[in-house]
Amino acid sequence: MMVRWEMTSLRMVLAITVIVQIVSGAGFVLALGLFFGQVPPRAALFVSTGVLVVTLITIGLVLGPQLVALQKAEKTYDFLWSLPVPRTTAALAWVTTNLVLGVPGMAVALGVALVRYDLDLHLSAAIVPAVLLTLFTGTMVGYALAHALGNPMLIVAITQMLIFVIIGFSPINFPAEQLPGWLAALHRWLPLAPMADTVRAGLTQGVVADVARSYLVLGAWAVASVGVSAAVLGRRE
Amino acid sequence: MTAPSLPAPPLRRGIAYWLTGYRGMLRFDLASAREWLVPFVIVQILMGAGMALIYGFYLGDMPIQVATFVATGAPTLAVIPLGMALAPSLIAGRKVEGTYDFMWSLPVPRLTAALSSYTLFTVLAAPGFAAALGIAAWRYDLDLHVSAWVVPAVLLSSLMAASVGFAVGHAVAQPALVNVITNLVIFVVLMFSPIAFPIENFPGWLAAAHRVLPFWHMANVVRASLTTGLVEAVWQSYVVLGAWTAGAWFLAAWAVGRRR
Repeated sequence: MMVRWEMTSLRMVLAITVIVQIVSGAGFVLALGLFFGQVPPRAALFVSTGVLVVTLITIGLVLGPQLVALQKAEKTYDFLWSLPVPRTTAALAWVTTNLVLGVPGMAVALGVALVRYDLDLHLSAAIVPAVLLTLFTGTMVGYALAHALGNPMLIVAITQMLIFVIIGFSPINFPAEQLPGWLAALHRWLPLAPMADTVRAGLTQGVVADVARSYLVLGAWAVASVGVSAAVLGRRE
Repeated sequence: MTAPSLPAPPLRRGIAYWLTGYRGMLRFDLASAREWLVPFVIVQILMGAGMALIYGFYLGDMPIQVATFVATGAPTLAVIPLGMALAPSLIAGRKVEGTYDFMWSLPVPRLTAALSSYTLFTVLAAPGFAAALGIAAWRYDLDLHVSAWVVPAVLLSSLMAASVGFAVGHAVAQPALVNVITNLVIFVVLMFSPIAFPIENFPGWLAAAHRVLPFWHMANVVRASLTTGLVEAVWQSYVVLGAWTAGAWFLAAWAVGRRR
């Protein structure tokens, strides 16, 4: 029910979102060739696998909170919670919607990367839990953020900063060694780098070390954000 | 004691009236700028200095020539979003809020409203330009040769960007479409424009397109004023930018004059 609701309310932005996802995912992979001239194989591998993560989490972490902000601004927010369904189903419906929206972009980005660069990929079964956990955590962190913050403008501002952080200041599309030391150290405890590591570990061999730790950090973020969401949503009225 | 007389109704033409209108519009624009000045500055710093740092993270260890290229592209990246994205979305915002028609009902010549916007956006671009350049140069430890040409380069670049943004904002009736266009511009500028990296890296058709589009030329005039020997035939870039500015003014004049 709530999945249908989310899909219906998204139909205006749905097509655009999927197109933006595909274009930005593929665009990133191609733009890299312009940065470098000659792309080193390691850089190509990092961007191609990193872009998957970016397409997976931008909907949950950026678009999702912005939609909630819009609902708050339009005053339809309270109406949603008055619907006669358990609030957990609303959250899970949103996760499902993200999965449906995120996976096509991810597949196209990977396809373009494979065509454009000669990649050394080793697909393993670990990709499935990695993608699911990454998507779930990304969505739930965005969900917690959107519902915990009252001011719609603040939500929009934060999510716009997040795009920059995701694309530019986190070791998703490039190795952590290329960041300044303090920032790399910080990312060991934030969810973004573990997301990239778990997904990358499912696609490559010998590039990622200590995946178990990444799963733990990511799991902790998932639990924490579910906790925050539950506390905030339970509180209302 | 003479009775106080009513002031004579002001003449609605002439240079003095025009200048008063211009001053009034500038005050009006400055006052409304309070709302967006902070996000404005943040956007400049993010897009300029932030992108210079981000390109560095992607590239890893850079030789000094590459770093110089990236750093001298930073100020251009800071200027583009102001005029080309923020200006049209401010106008689109007014259309959504319904204050757009009010603006045109103000008793000033429409030309002064346009000139006031150009002035404001051109002047406001300068601090972000300097900050982006300063941060990028500091991060990559560069030794730049800043020449007096930096003044016309910045002024023309930001005037061009503001003019194009103003024209797009007024000529495109639908606010939603304006948003799509500005997002597209940002996307193209950040990912597919030879601003922070050489145009030689681009495939032929894209390089050819960028010889007509203004982005590469903005980067050229700015880079030429900051370095020696990196840019050739910079006058061509000045000509192209001048043509874009003039074209944008024609479009804006048509769009503004057309209304009712």
